[in-house]
Amino acid sequence: MRKWFVSIGLLLLLMLAACSGDESGSSDSDDTEGEHGVSISIWHNFAGNDLRARTVRGMIDQFQKDHPEIKVEAQAIPVDGYRQRISTVAAADELPDVFLTYTGSFTDEFYEGDLIQPITPLLEKHPEWRDSFLPGALDAFEYSDGEIYSAPVAMSATSFLYYNKQLFKENNLEVPKTWDEFMQVIDVFNEKGITPIAIGNKAPWVAQSTTFGAIADRVTGTEWFIDAVAQDGASFTDPIFIEALGYFKQLVDANAYQDGANAIDNTQAEQYFAQGNAAMMINGSWTISSLAASASEETLQNIGVSVVPAIPDGKGRANTITGGPGGGFLLSSKTEGDAKEAALELIYVLSNAEAQKAIAESNSMVMYDVEIDPEKVNPLFYEAFKLVREVEYVPVYDLHLSAAAGEAINTGLQEIMLGGDVEAVAKKLQQAQARAVDE
Amino acid sequence: MQSVLKVKGMLAVTLLPALLLYSFFVIIPIFWSAYYGFFEWSGVGDASFIGWANYLEVIKDPIFWRALKNNMIIVGASVFGQVPIALGLALMLRKSSLFQRFVRSAIFLPMVISTVVVGLIWGYIYHPQFGIINSLLTAVGLESWTRPWLADPSINMYAVAIPIIWNYIGPYLIIFIAALQNIPSELDDAAKIDGADGFKKLIHVTLPMMWKTIMVAVVLCISGSLKAFDQVFVMTGGGPAQSTELLATYMYNNTFMVYRYGYGSAVSTMIIIVSLILIVISQLLMKRRDQEGRGI
Repeated sequence: MRKWFVSIGLLLLLMLAACSGDESGSSDSDDTEGEHGVSISIWHNFAGNDLRARTVRGMIDQFQKDHPEIKVEAQAIPVDGYRQRISTVAAADELPDVFLTYTGSFTDEFYEGDLIQPITPLLEKHPEWRDSFLPGALDAFEYSDGEIYSAPVAMSATSFLYYNKQLFKENNLEVPKTWDEFMQVIDVFNEKGITPIAIGNKAPWVAQSTTFGAIADRVTGTEWFIDAVAQDGASFTDPIFIEALGYFKQLVDANAYQDGANAIDNTQAEQYFAQGNAAMMINGSWTISSLAASASEETLQNIGVSVVPAIPDGKGRANTITGGPGGGFLLSSKTEGDAKEAALELIYVLSNAEAQKAIAESNSMVMYDVEIDPEKVNPLFYEAFKLVREVEYVPVYDLHLSAAAGEAINTGLQEIMLGGDVEAVAKKLQQAQARAVDE
Repeated sequence: MQSVLKVKGMLAVTLLPALLLYSFFVIIPIFWSAYYGFFEWSGVGDASFIGWANYLEVIKDPIFWRALKNNMIIVGASVFGQVPIALGLALMLRKSSLFQRFVRSAIFLPMVISTVVVGLIWGYIYHPQFGIINSLLTAVGLESWTRPWLADPSINMYAVAIPIIWNYIGPYLIIFIAALQNIPSELDDAAKIDGADGFKKLIHVTLPMMWKTIMVAVVLCISGSLKAFDQVFVMTGGGPAQSTELLATYMYNNTFMVYRYGYGSAVSTMIIIVSLILIVISQLLMKRRDQEGRGI
């Protein structure tokens, strides 16, 4: 009997030992032994089937082919779950060697947590590359230590005003340039039984990122927003911000949005607009890629692109788009030696002049001085590509707010769309941001 | 005596691996999670100890109570929807003709579909512009009844409860059919001789014989609906404006969208406490029923 116990006990111990042995082995991911000389991991969100995702995945495959001595373990994670996945591995201190990041608070946290290291040496090695980025592109990844941590491979422009040319023509309307014209156009379309603006706000960032950020900046001006984010002499309960929320409420009260906008997702809204059910849609540059993948050439030619109308009484500039440098690749602070060399090379290959051109020609915006061939891209993209060179950029709300405050304004805008009170929304946003700044 | 001890020892030894795994992956994490609830932690960087603040905030947060209320709606819809419907269907489908087997499979089908697919399908059924419900209502002239089912906070909780009911009728149906088939046929004959027929027989013979099975189904229902997450997460994500927030989506959003891991842990500990309370209450109710049953 005793033998029994002892042998089973031993067996269990062995099992546990085997398990823990395994764990310590796998957490050491940059295991340089093996058939390849060095192995690096890269995580990104180019998981879809759109042209840009395929282009970037192709570049990673090409890198692997060109460097047989390096083993590249790439993982493509769908966009919707990407932030969560990265935050979870960051919490477990198991970040991959190279990973895609977004500008703003997402990257700030990695910097503050000492989880990333600068790529400044890479930029110094290729000065002509560094100097070809558009003004301000690299600033987004420059931190207080004077080092640059990433080079953007995308531009995010989140608030284009797309419009259906035919519907505007049929109703003898001009694309609105000012808020008053905007409200008039909305009324006319409502009278004709056409949805004025399509929006899919089920995932609640949409109204904030595409519409409200642009409106609010026109009302408050950028400086006020930056101060309010820092809680430095400005607060989200200031009358000026209540006024900005009021403009959004005007849209809701004028029935600018289709019924049940909070229950359908962004893609469904894009389809709804592309099918000609709605006259306008305020959405980001990603809409171009998804429409290009699903709509016909004719449909794309029928869509025009502009900016959110000016608000003449506001403190902010007109002719701006919310956005700026988009994602870039970060280098984990744990990657050292040969793996670091390989990882830097991979980052360069994915963001150098050639890569930027390939990305731009796959119908997506970049922050790099590059000429594109109009034949290679779709007409809607080319129109937008020209437009973004004439506008100025203003901050996107949720890229600057803390995560909790971003959630507060997202939910708050849904509340306003359901008839909620603007001051209560402002108060919740202020509480969330003040709390985040205190920490 | 010796042999009894031996058997017990053997039992303990054979249960040990399972027990170890269970405590390692279930019991210990519960306590860890309760412990994490005492920290403010964004997932990156250092966690700071803040005592009971997270738990107090959970209790003070109206959204938590709304989530609890919504969860109770799901529990209610499941207990008073799934169980009676499954029972009624079981009574109708107890025989095994081809037609009845077909209907049985049709009812069981949603159970084998991924819950994400169920959520997506019902999302389209409820779609405010193209959804089949609104199209049907318009087609029969009831245009005034059309509404954004998932976006209107006054009804969307009931709208999301329907797919959940639909999704899980299958297993209860199977359990009830098995219970029905276990009722000895002598009882049927005896009831017939005593003149109990149809409804009378159902009330006085069939249901009492199935009572224990029904109670088990109710407990399964309660624990299942407290865990409800996937269909609602896919259909509404807890929105709009947190109107369909459930305990699980509330926990998920706080942990993984707002990055407050400590607060999320505190919420999940509260979920465990709420679940335990509900299970204890239902157990007590069951025991009382049991004793009453014996008294007769």
